[in-house]
Amino acid sequence: MNSLWALWASIAIGGLAQIFLKRGVSGRIYFSRLPSFAWWKGLLWSGWLWAWGISFVIATGLWLIALSRIPISYAFPLLSSSYILVAVLSKWVLNESVPAARWLAMAVICAGVILIAVA
Amino acid sequence: MDIPSISKLQEAPVILETKIPSKPRAGLRVGLAELALLGSIVFAASGHLLIKEGLNVAASGTLHEPIGLRILAYLGQPSVFLGLCVYGIGTLAWIFAVSKREISYLFPLTALNYVVVALGGRLLFGESIPLKRWAGILVVVCGVILMNQSSEERTE
Repeated sequence: MNSLWALWASIAIGGLAQIFLKRGVSGRIYFSRLPSFAWWKGLLWSGWLWAWGISFVIATGLWLIALSRIPISYAFPLLSSSYILVAVLSKWVLNESVPAARWLAMAVICAGVILIAVA
Repeated sequence: MDIPSISKLQEAPVILETKIPSKPRAGLRVGLAELALLGSIVFAASGHLLIKEGLNVAASGTLHEPIGLRILAYLGQPSVFLGLCVYGIGTLAWIFAVSKREISYLFPLTALNYVVVALGGRLLFGESIPLKRWAGILVVVCGVILMNQSSEERTE
């Protein structure tokens, strides 16, 4: 497999995993400050949580494949593009409201990550 | 006879309400979810460091073994095992944070990971941080503070 494809697939699947996780926990309400043991146990039976775990493992595997051929200083800043993917998906799929300040903050964080990577 | 105790019960929520500010405060908003997020970042980073340290030890002797035996040897390393446990605790903290806040808010905040790793490398291993990377760290922290201002108003 083309290693650049592996990199982008890893970023996309890794972002998707976070949407699965959010979808999995958001239907499970708890009324105290901390969730109970039963709440945690319930997660084991959630298909969304399994989807999260499986996509996390796939994304990590693809990331390792990509890193074996692509320099980390190139791959690493691209990882921050998943913040934008997650924000877009959370708006479309999860109906989260993403205020303008949050998009701006995301851009600032991405710029910082790129600066760290090229340093 | 019951009347005084009932009135006491009715007092309790009033006292609680005065503790929680109804207006959004200026400055950083740090609740349980933000603490859990920080915890998940620090635990994941420490887990990675522990695993890496254990792998360095384990990999030296087992290069010619089959992959199955090698993985067993890696897991037998105390720091690899401990690292995986620490990483697991970090994951639980992350799940807890996600249950409390929007994902479009939390996920970009995980960029703090790079800041923690850079500072940890400097404090623990004496690695130098070039000026450009300091600038990047500063920009990420600014973005994180900005992001924190966009946290949704939610009861905790």
